[in-house]
Amino acid sequence: MTGETVKRMDRRTFLVRSATAGLGVGLVATIGFNSQKSPARRWDQRAFAPPSRSSRVAVLRATSYDADLVGPLTDAIRDSRVDPRGKSVLLKPNLVEYDAGSAINTDPRLVAATVLAFRRLGARSVMVGEGPGHRRDTAYVVRQSGLWDALKAVEVPFTDLNTETLVETKLHSSYTQLGTLWLPRPVVESDIVVSMPKMKTHHWAGVTLSLKNCFGCVPGRVYGWPKNVLHLHGIENSILDVSAAVRPDLAIIDGIVGMEGDGPIKGSAKAAGLLVVSTDPVAADATAARLMGFDPERIAYLAEAGRFLGQVHLDEITQAGEDLERSATVFRTLPAFDNLHVGAQRRSKTTQSGSA
Amino acid sequence: MAGPLHARLADRLLSGRGDQGFGPRPNTPAEPEPTALAVIALDDEAGRTWLRNAQRPDGSLTLPRGVVMNDSPTSLAAIALGPGPAQDRAAQYLEHHLAITTASSTAIPLRGPSHGWAWVDGTFGWVEPTSRAVLALRLARRTSPALDDGIAVLTERQCEQGGWNYGNRTVWGTDLEPYVQTTAMGLLALQGPAAPDTAAAALSVLERQWEQEPGALSLALSLTALELHGRADPHRDRIVARLSAEFDETSFFDDTVATAWAAIATGDRWEQLQVTS
Repeated sequence: MTGETVKRMDRRTFLVRSATAGLGVGLVATIGFNSQKSPARRWDQRAFAPPSRSSRVAVLRATSYDADLVGPLTDAIRDSRVDPRGKSVLLKPNLVEYDAGSAINTDPRLVAATVLAFRRLGARSVMVGEGPGHRRDTAYVVRQSGLWDALKAVEVPFTDLNTETLVETKLHSSYTQLGTLWLPRPVVESDIVVSMPKMKTHHWAGVTLSLKNCFGCVPGRVYGWPKNVLHLHGIENSILDVSAAVRPDLAIIDGIVGMEGDGPIKGSAKAAGLLVVSTDPVAADATAARLMGFDPERIAYLAEAGRFLGQVHLDEITQAGEDLERSATVFRTLPAFDNLHVGAQRRSKTTQSGSA
Repeated sequence: MAGPLHARLADRLLSGRGDQGFGPRPNTPAEPEPTALAVIALDDEAGRTWLRNAQRPDGSLTLPRGVVMNDSPTSLAAIALGPGPAQDRAAQYLEHHLAITTASSTAIPLRGPSHGWAWVDGTFGWVEPTSRAVLALRLARRTSPALDDGIAVLTERQCEQGGWNYGNRTVWGTDLEPYVQTTAMGLLALQGPAAPDTAAAALSVLERQWEQEPGALSLALSLTALELHGRADPHRDRIVARLSAEFDETSFFDDTVATAWAAIATGDRWEQLQVTS
């Protein structure tokens, strides 16, 4: 199977084949990678098309969740060339924790607006799913965050990915030693999976965007609360394997109000007034990182993802919408991640593992 | 007031059982954790048989998924199985499968070297699996030497104000707040004289905080913990009313684990979790 074949294959076909047959990729035993030295490939070339050299990313100005988001989102999804007509869509927001007045979760109003945008574009069905990784009581977070009421208003179902029926999915990358992941059926079988993260800093990984958001597709009842087994394999390794398995078809990053400092939970709200939309989740994350004042090529997992999952290089991303430089706003980080900022002095990276 | 809700919850569990056991949602294949909880909630002999058949030769009950071996259901299964050889084997497995430990660091300062129990074999210990294992051993093997370690974990990792987050108390210099669900779970383990100061602080957290976290699982565990600590009277009716409203509105998101815990809390089966001296 060639990369071009994979590129033309829809994600459901790809994932279902991965679930049932696999492509026979061998495991590379070593955990950890050094993106600076371009080590050996840890992905099956037959499973991943080379990153596009013209990934398109839209940066939309959106200063309020109460503004009309449906119209701009409809245009952005249409322009992204995702065609949801007659298809099933799973929206995967970032829902971690509830803390009144904080900016932890993807805003429910944005999720509801995205539901309406997909309906307007002819989607056959839309559902929203998440498997919170800290809080086992999903109902508490869904209800208190306002997501339940927002979804009820647009009559769309929510599914707890932590309790969904699971499908064994062979990994075609080998940054961890897991070999397979057990993913919830809607993640595997939906025609279109949309990763909808909050634009946040992260106290273990630097930033958490559409790739890291895929952690919520990994069910707690197998991997625990928190998903410590993933952290033990290296959080960056796990981000790469999990996002390569989930393969979101579209990223919609909520940067209307993001989080800086000690994210993903204990940071401070940071208004960026932006949405980032792309069918290339790596390009979306790289663009969001630039809008946060970071150099994405210094974020180890993003740089590595740029080798096989999508485009990270600025000159190979076609950007539409708002001007990148004028729209950027610097997000503070914990001191351990200061070196990720554009212009900061590089220093050797240390990876924390063993916690959430 | 609790009686009618308990009956509805029991009906829900029974109508959704897959085979002999219970799945994570109604009408899904049985798994050890929801089955163990439903057995406790319903005193269900068919479910108990399923657990006996699912027990591995080493005594564990697991949810194996590739190289990931989630052995955390063993503790609840030990309780559900009741006295006998199967329970003994499960308790023995718990005694010999403590979590791994890690060094204290700037990011995550630890107050002791204790292990506790993990969700997944070979990983770190966390509050929920540790609490369940401590409870199981206190019920099934009360002189187990592993109990000291588990109780130490719960004491070392309690939050500054009492109660528990998911397992850490401080990350990058920030004190974490207690969660209702994990605090209630910790209190199941620390009944009686095991660690009275830790339990008292956690009870105080639970009594003032449960209304702020009204998810089904948190409510059900709160009521169970308050019953076991003899503190339910001022709270019981309000918790049951909230549970009932949640069940009407959300069906607990079809989560068998939440449904079973709620059935345990609203019937008399919480008494099976009572540690006697």
